[in-house]
Amino acid sequence: MERWRLIDLGSPEPLVAQTFYEAVAEVLHRGEAPNTLIMLQPGSAYVCLGYHQDLEREIDLDFCRERGLPVIRRSQGGGATYLDGDQVFYQIIAKDSPAVPRDVEGMFERLLAVTVETYRRMGVEAEFKPLNDVVVGVRKISGNGAGMHESASILVGNVILDLDYEMMARVLKVPDEKFRDKMAKSMKDWVSNLRRELGKPPSAEVVKQTYITVFQELLNIELVRQEPTEEEWRIYHEEVEPKHTSSEWLYMEAPPAIRREGRAVKIAGDVKVVEADHKARKLIRVRAEVKGEEILSIQIRGDFFVIPKEAIADLEKMMSGAKLDEEAVSETVKRFYMETGAQTPGLGHQDYTAAVMKIKELI
Amino acid sequence: MVKIDGNDFPEDLYYHRDHMWVKVEEGKARVGYNDWAQEAAGKLVNLNTRRVGRSLKAGKTLGTVESGKWVGPLKAPVSGEIVELNDEVMKKPSLINEDPYGRGWIAVIGATDLETELKDLVKGSDQEKLKTWLREEKAKHGV
Repeated sequence: MERWRLIDLGSPEPLVAQTFYEAVAEVLHRGEAPNTLIMLQPGSAYVCLGYHQDLEREIDLDFCRERGLPVIRRSQGGGATYLDGDQVFYQIIAKDSPAVPRDVEGMFERLLAVTVETYRRMGVEAEFKPLNDVVVGVRKISGNGAGMHESASILVGNVILDLDYEMMARVLKVPDEKFRDKMAKSMKDWVSNLRRELGKPPSAEVVKQTYITVFQELLNIELVRQEPTEEEWRIYHEEVEPKHTSSEWLYMEAPPAIRREGRAVKIAGDVKVVEADHKARKLIRVRAEVKGEEILSIQIRGDFFVIPKEAIADLEKMMSGAKLDEEAVSETVKRFYMETGAQTPGLGHQDYTAAVMKIKELI
Repeated sequence: MVKIDGNDFPEDLYYHRDHMWVKVEEGKARVGYNDWAQEAAGKLVNLNTRRVGRSLKAGKTLGTVESGKWVGPLKAPVSGEIVELNDEVMKKPSLINEDPYGRGWIAVIGATDLETELKDLVKGSDQEKLKTWLREEKAKHGV
């Protein structure tokens, strides 16, 4: 049986909660520490940005300042999120462990089995959904990310006791409040938590203990409780903390792939809420909830005229369930003109097709 | 084209242990992410690199890639200055998945010590060595 270290960080300040594992990964990479499981709850609320995201584009910084919410860019991918003490974090840092496959898919499958079983023991029928989701029915119930630090593999994730959907939607930057409402509704549709599933969530301590028990059973690992070493705190204070609090890191220039027009917010799994503008002779603004390449619902607005004006609702309805495929979208738009006899002065079917297809560039 | 366990490894390229390929072009090195690595990473959604003009040592970080929720490093396979970046791939990183050795190239490096450093890379024409390296790599990744 493998022997790993268990570090229980309690309820540390946000920066420690989000980044201390990087110091552990460095020490582990050097071969100066055993494989480690860190468990904690954030000591207070914060906003966490995905590694490649653009800070000013994603986050409502004025709101965060007003509320005194720290913003931290994590070293892992994915989208911006609001985190607080209602989440129990697990952070797995390993090197050359038979329990942790180094290929990403294998690692997620193996380690998320622990998360799934933890939920099950608390009475929630969670399941693993490849690549990296834990779901209850269609709803995501745990957020997970993976990465590497030199030779160390890292997987971080959480068990969600409760979720403040309004705050989740509030901290993000949005084109307008309607977009925010759509996002909040989408989050409620696609993300769950223990309170919602059970009525009353178990305490964080129970969740932690359950996770620790399951971790040892499923992975055939013996966990030995230890404190972080002095060297780990030194690396944290001298390297990790200065890096993460530097404006160079926080305002890191986003890669071109996400410097696009329009707005896309990842909700859960492959569900996104997006908005795109198409400037033809008139402006067409489309706002949609999509799952993969399927349009779940869509709104088409702008400064154009449709006669009769109710007809645009028909187009929106016809587009629901459509695939973001140029030919299919074009067919649907043409069918809309034929079936409704609608007129769109200054705009043609190709303009609406182009507007809808703009969504595809954002997902 | 050399195929190893289903992945392409063109013979005229050199391969760095951290999954970058190198194509020698008049003293410069065109570099990218190899076919097995792109497949293992999955659809790439983000790519960020150091800027043109930046000098790098071989084995140091050239950039980062993100697929799904995994973030991984891209290592410079040879030392030198970044002289060109592939704008197309910067905007659409999944080109690396579609065409890793063609439209999915990442950067051109004005190599400073190419002759010596090429000796540390695995030659595409050396199939046996390539196979051994890839198997070691796969074993390391539990595949």
